[in-house]
Amino acid sequence: MRNPAGWLLLTALSLLFFAFIYAPLLVIVGYSFNANPVNMMVWDGFTLDWYRGLFGLRDRTGDALSRAAYVESTDQLLAALRNSLIVAACTTAISTVIGTATAIALARHRFRLRRLYEGLMLMPMMMPDIVLGIGLLIFFVSLGMQLSLLTIIIGHCTFLTSYVFIVVQARIAGIDPALEEAAADLGASEWVTLRKVLLPQLAPGILGGALLAFVISMDDLVITYFIAGTGSTTLPVFIFGMIRRGVKPEINAIATLIILASVLIAALGLWLRSRRIDR
Amino acid sequence: MTAQVRGLRQDGAAGMAALLEIRGARRSFATPEGGRVTALDGVDLDVGANEFVTLLGPSGCGKTTLLRAISGFEALDAGTIRLDGQDVAPLPPFRRPVNTVFQSYALFGHMSVARNVGFALEVRGVPRAERDRAVAEALEKVGLAGFGARRPAQLSGGQRQRVALARALIARPRLLLLDEPLSALDRGLRQQMQIELKTLQHGLGIAFVFVTHDQEEALTMSDRIVVMRAGRVEQTGTPREIYRRPRTRFVAEFVGETNLFETVVERIEGSQARLRTPEGLAFTAPARGLAPGARATLVLRPADFSLGAAGAGIAGRVERAVYLGQDLHLLVRPEAGGPAIRVTVRDGAAAPEPGAKVSLVHDADAAHLLEEAE
Repeated sequence: MRNPAGWLLLTALSLLFFAFIYAPLLVIVGYSFNANPVNMMVWDGFTLDWYRGLFGLRDRTGDALSRAAYVESTDQLLAALRNSLIVAACTTAISTVIGTATAIALARHRFRLRRLYEGLMLMPMMMPDIVLGIGLLIFFVSLGMQLSLLTIIIGHCTFLTSYVFIVVQARIAGIDPALEEAAADLGASEWVTLRKVLLPQLAPGILGGALLAFVISMDDLVITYFIAGTGSTTLPVFIFGMIRRGVKPEINAIATLIILASVLIAALGLWLRSRRIDR
Repeated sequence: MTAQVRGLRQDGAAGMAALLEIRGARRSFATPEGGRVTALDGVDLDVGANEFVTLLGPSGCGKTTLLRAISGFEALDAGTIRLDGQDVAPLPPFRRPVNTVFQSYALFGHMSVARNVGFALEVRGVPRAERDRAVAEALEKVGLAGFGARRPAQLSGGQRQRVALARALIARPRLLLLDEPLSALDRGLRQQMQIELKTLQHGLGIAFVFVTHDQEEALTMSDRIVVMRAGRVEQTGTPREIYRRPRTRFVAEFVGETNLFETVVERIEGSQARLRTPEGLAFTAPARGLAPGARATLVLRPADFSLGAAGAGIAGRVERAVYLGQDLHLLVRPEAGGPAIRVTVRDGAAAPEPGAKVSLVHDADAAHLLEEAE
């Protein structure tokens, strides 16, 4: 039989663990609805003002405090969000293709220096962000490239390809090579085998890698901070800029919206995975 | 009769070309330690148009490499493989007119059973309606009608085996390769599938090349068995030839239980030779051109012995008796010394207990002498 005391202890430990992880997030969500504009720690009633402010919906004439440029302008915020989405979308597409192709090549073909190749693929993931950021900056400058969305996309691809690679590699390791042989045996050329057998088998891994790349790209601050130009501020860089001028209520609102978006993306990923329950 | 004809063809004497013709197949692999291991060391093999040929041997004997060379997944270092007289070396696996049933079945988990079975037709661009008809027919043939909509994961091991078979047969190959397809099944199912496979092969009129390390499986199904060892063909023959007339010690020991005796020919009496072991055990065997004083290795299967009257044949003591239903396996230690003799007798009232004294007589016509000099 189960030991009641032990069971209780285990439950308490789990609850504490989840509280530890999620309390900061809940606090942000709570404060994003706090009407007190000066001291967030004091609850002053429920408001949606900060959300309205973010999207320029609030009538600012009667509110001197918030008219001070916390959010420099709604346009800037939306521009940053748009930049982030463009970067994340491009980066995800590029790094997913390269990462998947590399994982397949390394798993299915034997060639010289294969181990070295694999190590080089994983290296950017181990590299401290700050080193990668400085390195990229010097690289772009020495090439004479203007810092822009393009440099951010290139920069993100350098390390996100590794993430996609490692996720797809884990998936491909679990796939019986005999499946591809069976396809060839039944008359499928390499291309048809890739399309009809290998890629469908890898799909959950590729999807997982792509979602991971998207989320990390959306979230990256350190590297992006070095390689973002004046017109190419992304959302995290923008938020970081805001915070340097003081933690203001709009930031809580932005954070809450990001949490919501993240939960939706994660839910989408889980749903897509559960739709294909097979091995 | 047919065995005789095939035996001739194997020796290259028959005029009719074989469906599959392998000559001088060689293949070696680099080992991780930097050495080389020879998987195929000059293998010749012919398979007739409707023949069930089994490649039998222990793991590492090269049988799987040979199969993979036929299907195109391994290239040969030297030698030729001809299908219908055409050299297949330049053809990639997907252009070879052979199909394979894989050991792991290798069913596509993301496809329905029907799409798995129809895959070969799908990649050939066969229209949907025609494909559906062929799939239904193929599933019917392996006893899985109505299972088309399922996923492979929803089937039992035996059912998956049948799907793999239907999938490999749908493109009507003239040669089907089977790589230990029954090894994952439990014993009862395996025996059932052995019979079904043989029936199917005979009915379809196509050739099977079947790889196994299970000698019982080989004896049950094959028209002809090719015993392989260390990359070479040790012996080729019908199951009866392989079992009754093994050419070498290896074949005798690998296929079925056996007793081997090192003997010297004492004298020849007409068509029979009197043999004696160093311990003094006496045997009689067909003379087959032996001269007195020659050394010969004698093969006697456990069932070639029977229990004789006291004083006749070889006197010994039962060391162990294993009851197997109808039969009784005895391990008999000869009083004269030498290795214990394995004997199978019908179980009955007179069945000896361990420790009992018995005398063994053997069937002189069943006694066989190995060709190789010991």
